[in-house]
Amino acid sequence: MRPVDPRLIARIGPARRYVITTAVLGLLTAIVIGVQALVIARLVAPVLAPSPLTEDGLGWIGTIVPTSARALETGVVWLAALVVVRVLLVGIQERLAHRAGVAVIADLRGRVVAHAARLGPRWAASGEGSTVTTTVTRGLDGLLPYFVRYLPQLMLAATVTPIMLLVVLDLDWISAAIIAGTLPLVPLFMILIGLVTRQHSAKHLEAMQRLSSRVLDLISGLPTLRALGRHRGPAGRVRELGNAQRRATMGSLRIAFLSGMVLELLTTLAVALVAVTLGFRLVYGEVSIETALAVLVLAPEVYLPVRNVGMHFHASADGLAAADAAFDVLDTPVARVGGTGPAPSLAGATLSMRGLAVATPDGRRHAPESLTFDAPPGSITALVGPNGDGKSTALLALMGLLRPDAGEVSAMLADGTSVPLDDVDADGWAREFAWVPQRPDLGVPGRTMSLGQRERAALARAFESGRPVIVLDEPTAHLDIEARTEVVAHIRAAAARGVAVVVATHEVELIAAADAVVEVASATAVTP
Amino acid sequence: MTDLLATQMRKGALRRVLGDAGLSRGRTVLAVLTGSAALGSAVGLAAVAAWMIARAAGMPSPADLAIAAVVVRFFGIGRGLFRYLERLTSHDVALRGAVSLRVRVYERLAHAPAAHVLPLTRGQVMARIGADVDAIADAVVRGLIPMAVAVVVSGVSVGIAAFMVPLAGVVLAACVLIAGVGAAALTLRSARAAAALAVTADARVTESALSALEAAAEHRVWGTTASAEAELAEADAASARAHEAIARPAALAAAVQTLAAGLALIGSIAVAVTAAADGAIGPTTAAVIALLPLAAFEAVGAVPAAMQQLFRSARAAERIEELAPPSDADAPDHATSDSDPRASAVLEAREVSAAWPRMTPTVPVSLRVAPGEVLAVVGRSGIGKTTLLATLGGALAPAAGEALIDGAAVTEDDLGTVVAITAEDAHLFGTTVLENLRVARGSVTEDEALDALGVVGLRDWAVALPDGLDTVLGSGGGTVSGGERRRLLLARALLAPHPVHLIDEPGEHLDRAGREALRAALARLSGEGRSVVIVTHDLTLLDAADRTVSLDAVNSDA
Repeated sequence: MRPVDPRLIARIGPARRYVITTAVLGLLTAIVIGVQALVIARLVAPVLAPSPLTEDGLGWIGTIVPTSARALETGVVWLAALVVVRVLLVGIQERLAHRAGVAVIADLRGRVVAHAARLGPRWAASGEGSTVTTTVTRGLDGLLPYFVRYLPQLMLAATVTPIMLLVVLDLDWISAAIIAGTLPLVPLFMILIGLVTRQHSAKHLEAMQRLSSRVLDLISGLPTLRALGRHRGPAGRVRELGNAQRRATMGSLRIAFLSGMVLELLTTLAVALVAVTLGFRLVYGEVSIETALAVLVLAPEVYLPVRNVGMHFHASADGLAAADAAFDVLDTPVARVGGTGPAPSLAGATLSMRGLAVATPDGRRHAPESLTFDAPPGSITALVGPNGDGKSTALLALMGLLRPDAGEVSAMLADGTSVPLDDVDADGWAREFAWVPQRPDLGVPGRTMSLGQRERAALARAFESGRPVIVLDEPTAHLDIEARTEVVAHIRAAAARGVAVVVATHEVELIAAADAVVEVASATAVTP
Repeated sequence: MTDLLATQMRKGALRRVLGDAGLSRGRTVLAVLTGSAALGSAVGLAAVAAWMIARAAGMPSPADLAIAAVVVRFFGIGRGLFRYLERLTSHDVALRGAVSLRVRVYERLAHAPAAHVLPLTRGQVMARIGADVDAIADAVVRGLIPMAVAVVVSGVSVGIAAFMVPLAGVVLAACVLIAGVGAAALTLRSARAAAALAVTADARVTESALSALEAAAEHRVWGTTASAEAELAEADAASARAHEAIARPAALAAAVQTLAAGLALIGSIAVAVTAAADGAIGPTTAAVIALLPLAAFEAVGAVPAAMQQLFRSARAAERIEELAPPSDADAPDHATSDSDPRASAVLEAREVSAAWPRMTPTVPVSLRVAPGEVLAVVGRSGIGKTTLLATLGGALAPAAGEALIDGAAVTEDDLGTVVAITAEDAHLFGTTVLENLRVARGSVTEDEALDALGVVGLRDWAVALPDGLDTVLGSGGGTVSGGERRRLLLARALLAPHPVHLIDEPGEHLDRAGREALRAALARLSGEGRSVVIVTHDLTLLDAADRTVSLDAVNSDA
């Protein structure tokens, strides 16, 4: 998996700016850490040297920190200044990270929601479509730890690690060689271990998830068991399954933690090797005490970002998976419905549907299949048929909200011209309809109402809208007898005003009130 | 008063829940020790390496460095090794705790009053016992143990410094305290802000996003797409403003930690250099004191994340206690699994009105259902049909009036023994078709199962399944259609031995054929001499019942 999704950088402005700023901050941090190591070496070396230091032990790079820093007063001022800068860098980085994360999430969420809305109800019912709500609510929030924790460490690994290595190289090439030799081993071993254990851990993970879902399933059936008086037995089973799950989990963890161990082992052991080598070379006078101290302080800093990247790997995985899901939605092309001509007014028009067929999300059936009917103005057309045979889908197609697999929707206008939906703007066409779906939404304020309240409000909106076609999907399902009678009266009144009413229903009373009853049926799809 | 009590209850919820998890003391101590050994190795490596460099600067014979060289390498290996052991031990402790906690919560719920258990939704139970128990396990792995390790390692570092030069110990202790306590306090503030945000700004974002998404087609028809998107953008902007309250203390915590580490470094070097210049300490001691702070702050660095985890886990613990309140003593078992020996029973209600706590009671009804009779309770949604059913079944005490079985007041013990309730959202388990039917009665044979499935018109469906009756259904019945699900639940009710059956909304999601199946099932139950009550808002089902009681306008039970 790539550590940074290039689409984030290329397409999301706040993400790009953040990555650039973080890289700059990383660079500054690298400089501060390097200079701090030199200052520490300057300060401590005189204490350790058997005789007063005369020459500069830090070579070319030492010109950054003059030898005057060997004096306690000067050195401490240097250190204090560096600490202040580092505190500022850390604080700024954290603030920026949080802001950028929030901005990127908002940006992506807005885009995904807008695009998913354009993809339409058919896509929403498909496999990808059904996960999009999770993506835009909980999923994208996984990007916050990615931006706050992972990306900064990645940038530090890309800046601090190579720069520190260069500084060490200038100070002492043997230590640099030890570090440069061990550094590539870290990713190498992690990949190797990953390859060796992948199959094993995938198997464990599957067993673990299976057991976990069985425990949860058992427990969530408790009210049902209680209602049948069978609730006592499963406690032992919960423990048994739980213990099996624990053993499976530990089995997978023993392997999963191996890569972490190798990471820590390699990085710490390398620091130890550098220290031991320096010690023996000091004895033979091959290296100055100032150099040795600077390298000793720098060596762990080379590895620290690499180790942190490994530690925050999971934050990266969750965040990137969420970004990936979001971009998958954004990159799904919109299936065009309708054409380019202006949408006509449907007042006084007869709507007609000819041979309509729409495949179900799994593609195995057509629901509806070969649906043909006319909905003249001033009449009530009832669509009836078993659940799942495509009544709601037919209504969506009638309004131009989804693209059928076969068949045509058109309107015979009041002036006698026939206009196919395929020729005109689908958005304008849709706005000729007053629609009450099965679970009306009514926007954010509607979400605090009960389903019955929402249904009544949505029906009122439809009857009062003055639109030429009213489309109702099981309008009486959640209403009591009185309200039901009232709705039927409203429907009759609307038809009397010349409105074309199309209603999908099981309700006997409503079917009796209809001028035409259309049977909607499904059929097994014939593979071409 | 109740609020005060609730606050008192919540306090220490995490401690009590962790107590319920029964963490093994020995394993926990082992985890803290190995964790301290891992981070201690880093401190040890820094200290011994400093000592070795300082010693080497005096150009002794190489043999004088031999032991230090071995110790440095040992610490180099120790960190990875001990960390691995710590992670395994701490996860083992936590997972064992999670298993015990799940069993404990399950037992508490099984023994809780039926009135508490029956209204629980699947989602609630799943979230509490799934994610929330996991959060308690995380409190151990990511909260308590890192905190303990931070205390141990910081203590050891301070001890080393203080042993060499007391003043250096004081400097280090002060800075470690600033880093640990300061960061913990700031993180707590950040976490509190985040929790508050989750219920206000974030909830608004979720609502707007869901509305814009799920009602996308509606928005297109009504021309409100742009305003729905604008509402989402506005909600996101409000959330971003609120996020500042999280980000500010979090950034401050990181800055405080960096500052404290920097101060410790400056202070220690100053102490070391001054003391060495005075001749109070030798060069090796000076080197150790000067360089120790570079490694000593790593353990404290874990405090913010640990604090955040503890905060999250505490909220999870509160929710778990809310779901399954701790009981003083293990309540006696109410219902027994053995069904009542009675083959038939008369259900009677005299002017019963039903209500959950804080609910308006239903209008009083009187009814009498003799063995072999089917009674339908109708009424619009929200009128309290399900509540009445719970009252008739003994799960809920009547708000007024009397509910009787065979002339005796119905009690909670009757539910599950004399009375079986089939709820509208009754659970299909993620097991085989046969095992799902055996939920009604453990002794159901394959023939009995096929017979019951035949009554509800599912025999052909079941035979055609890949493994027949042994086919595993997805958890929650996700792999069966709404209609099949209802019919399976009916078949389960047919197999339950209870003399009284209360069935909630059996007609929901059933098409014409499904309703025929329902009629057949009701006929079978009454034919076997059971007393049956169904609750519905579907008036086409009324002809399947012998009599009807309406909750809208009460009819007397003619």
